[in-house]
Amino acid sequence: MIQAILDAVSLGGVYALAALGLGLVFGVMRLVNFAHAELITVASYTLVMTHQFPLVVSIVLSVVVASLMALLMELLAYRRLRGSNPATMLIVSFGVSVLLQKIYELVFGALPRSASVATGLTGAFTVGGVSITTASVVTIVLAVVILLAMGYLIERTKLGLQLRAAASDFQTARLLGVRSNRLIASAFVISGALAAVVAFVNVVGNPQVDPRFGLDITILALVGIVVGGMNSLRGSALGGFIVGAVLSLLNVILGNGRVYAYSWMFVIVIVILLVRPGGILSKFATKERV
Amino acid sequence: MTLFEVRDLRAGYGKVDVLFGVSLTASKGELIGIVGPNGAGKSTLFGAIVGTVGLRGGSVFLDGEDISGKRPEDIVRRGLSLVPEGRQIFSGLSVIENLTLGLTGRRDKHGEKGALERVHDLFPVLTTHRDHQAGMLSGGQQQQLAIARALVADPRVLLLDEPSLGLSPTVVKDVFDRLIAIAESGTAVVIVEQRAHLVTRLAERTHVLRAGKLQATLTKEDAADEAKLTAAYFGNSGE
Ligand SMILES: Nc1ncnc2c1ncn2[C@@H]1O[C@H](COP(=O)(O)OP(=O)(O)OP(=O)(O)O)[C@@H](O)[C@H]1O
Ligand SMILES: [Mg+2]
Repeated sequence: MIQAILDAVSLGGVYALAALGLGLVFGVMRLVNFAHAELITVASYTLVMTHQFPLVVSIVLSVVVASLMALLMELLAYRRLRGSNPATMLIVSFGVSVLLQKIYELVFGALPRSASVATGLTGAFTVGGVSITTASVVTIVLAVVILLAMGYLIERTKLGLQLRAAASDFQTARLLGVRSNRLIASAFVISGALAAVVAFVNVVGNPQVDPRFGLDITILALVGIVVGGMNSLRGSALGGFIVGAVLSLLNVILGNGRVYAYSWMFVIVIVILLVRPGGILSKFATKERV
Repeated sequence: MTLFEVRDLRAGYGKVDVLFGVSLTASKGELIGIVGPNGAGKSTLFGAIVGTVGLRGGSVFLDGEDISGKRPEDIVRRGLSLVPEGRQIFSGLSVIENLTLGLTGRRDKHGEKGALERVHDLFPVLTTHRDHQAGMLSGGQQQQLAIARALVADPRVLLLDEPSLGLSPTVVKDVFDRLIAIAESGTAVVIVEQRAHLVTRLAERTHVLRAGKLQATLTKEDAADEAKLTAAYFGNSGE
């Protein structure tokens, strides 16, 4: 029972991080970056391929690689699309996603690459007679620390202020001197770093990395940001958390019927959206992009 | 000495041309008016100057430097700020956050504190509401915030697009008094107004923009002459 709750909170935390990464980029660019999945995947490959390195080095490398790839996506693909309509940008991001999957297949092969990463986290310990997995506790701590750090960045720093302003009205932000290229690049780099954190937690739980490794979590995180409210970062993170936690709980509750977990989750999502079409924390702040 | 010059500016959107060669100048400390009916191209003119509307010809000079075609975030750093039509404050952010964003466009980062103090002197009400959500301010307070937010960048030229919009006459007078003070401190102030009488009495020169061209220029003295003003505005002079 306690383990089930811990699992739900930890999966919720992971999805909140994934949703936050997507929400940051969506906020400044109105781009649903489907290729966020490939950022998670590349970070996961990095962790697996460098598993013989000290863990810290391996993690830092995965953050650097995912952030760089996010930056390259923006420079090579998305920068040209500024101000295009959201549908065009979504299609291009599908294209980037598929292209990267093919590249991963060429480089790493279609079959999963695996290696045990952070073996210290795979065990379990007992507290007051209850057995608890180390991974769930570490994941929760990690998610809380990163979410707090992100909260600080967004609410308390100049960069965060500019990100919030640009998300509500980019043109006016530019009139005041906010450098659009630099700001959007920062959003991508941060989303890449968040993808690497998600990758780390996922690889510890399931070290079988294939070219489509990041796909499922990205799709569910997208559902999360729609549920939470696309126009607010808080909403995105909250929505991601709800989707992850509900999915995890459904798996336990449904027992043998867990193949229906996705179906039930979407029933819940649809009900939420019927009650609050703009998402749980919806705000209406849609203005013209750059 | 001319601080700001717009020379033969042309601009438009898509297939439509809106401005057909507009020229004007402003010197340090001058207050210049631009009036004209709906759709004349007033906001387009400001947009073309600050880089949010594409130029189709002509140039903009600031202190001798050609700034035409530069990006908005670079233009504000050179000392030209716009208070846009409809204020466009960030209603979800606090007053001080709006002002802090305004500091982004400063060239000189040392003067930030002084700039905020100046805002306090000019618009004390903003200090009172420092931590309130900007969207909760009254219309007049929001206009003050929009002006203050542009002012903290220490502009040499300040453009204002219909600052009187939606404000009661007493509040309008209040706002214009501050604009006069701002001009007196050495900033060149260019004000777009639909309601001509608000600005003609104050401005050194008031240009009448109609159908994308400057049709007439009025001096302060002309402003007293009701007939001349009406003629210039509606374009039936000399006919
Ligand atoms: N973003 C745009 N896309 C296409 N056409 C536009 C756009 N903005 C303005 N226009 C057109 O350009 C012309 C001039 O508009 P502009 O907003 O500059 O007028 P204005 O003088 O500021 O009017 P108002 O007094 O109503 O603010 C109008 O015919 C308008 O329809
Ligand atoms: Mg206008």
